[in-house]
Amino acid sequence: MGRYDGRTAIVTGSRRGVGRIITDHLLAGGATVIGFARGESANGHPAYHHVQVDITDSPALTDAFVGIRREFTTVDILVNNAATLTSQYSMIMSTDVAREMVETNLLAPFVMSRECARLMKRSKWGRIINIGSMATSLEPAGDSVYAACKTGLTTLGNVMAREFASFNVTCNTLAITAIETDMLNQLPKDRIDAIIATLPVPRYATAEDITNVIDFFASESSSYITAQTVFLGGVN
Amino acid sequence: MELSFAAIADIILQALADLDDERPADDKIAGTVDTQLFGPEAVLDSLGLVSVIADVEMAVSDLVGHAVSLMDDVALSQENSPFESVRSLADYVMTLVGQPA
Repeated sequence: MGRYDGRTAIVTGSRRGVGRIITDHLLAGGATVIGFARGESANGHPAYHHVQVDITDSPALTDAFVGIRREFTTVDILVNNAATLTSQYSMIMSTDVAREMVETNLLAPFVMSRECARLMKRSKWGRIINIGSMATSLEPAGDSVYAACKTGLTTLGNVMAREFASFNVTCNTLAITAIETDMLNQLPKDRIDAIIATLPVPRYATAEDITNVIDFFASESSSYITAQTVFLGGVN
Repeated sequence: MELSFAAIADIILQALADLDDERPADDKIAGTVDTQLFGPEAVLDSLGLVSVIADVEMAVSDLVGHAVSLMDDVALSQENSPFESVRSLADYVMTLVGQPA
């Protein structure tokens, strides 16, 4: 019997990187997973359902939930994973690039959480897990908007934790360090290595490091764990 | 899809009934179209009103097949709040979905 048997989960940014790792982990545990991504589905698992949508398009996002409510009775777990990162000094970052990060990394998780919370309120059970970043603590040069968005995401989850607690919905943040993904590959490796070298556990994260905390937050036993942030690698 | 006033009022009353499921026996709302949702005579606290608005938005969106937002600038700028009573909210939803109130 799988850990996630009978559960329905939504993962944003499900096609690649951390989102794909989490999606595959939930599927392997027996969950039905609804993946949100801009591109076409690249997952042939029979319990995987794909919603091809630009998550910065809020009206399209809310319309997508009309279809989800038609097809699924509830959503038990939401993983707000999709993110975009442009690392650039503030003085030369364009407003458009900054806006895209705010819309993807902060506004879209707000809309996703709002829509899922409405469904979770019906079933009186839910787990919202936001994927944060070590950037919120380390505040590296070049990550001004990205780190601000991820800090905002944590605060968003903490306030929602208060608002949703009465119907047994928890909201927590998993702040990851660095893992080999397409997003990370956009950045200079020597720069990432230098940051990782300063961590108490100076290594890159593995898929298991991430899914371990996902399992903890999503667990039935974690109903008293809410508004918490777990940093990987000893970041605090 | 055509929505009647009665159908929308039923959606709102169902949202109130769902709230009643969680309230003690001596504090039930037992809503009617004249039940006050907002203002001095309101039967709901702020969280209760939020719950009703969220449930109604979701149910109406599902009926019409696209997202409907009740908390837009038009609603917030009206002299008489559309959230005052079940009746005023049903009227407002009728106008939002393009049906004469």
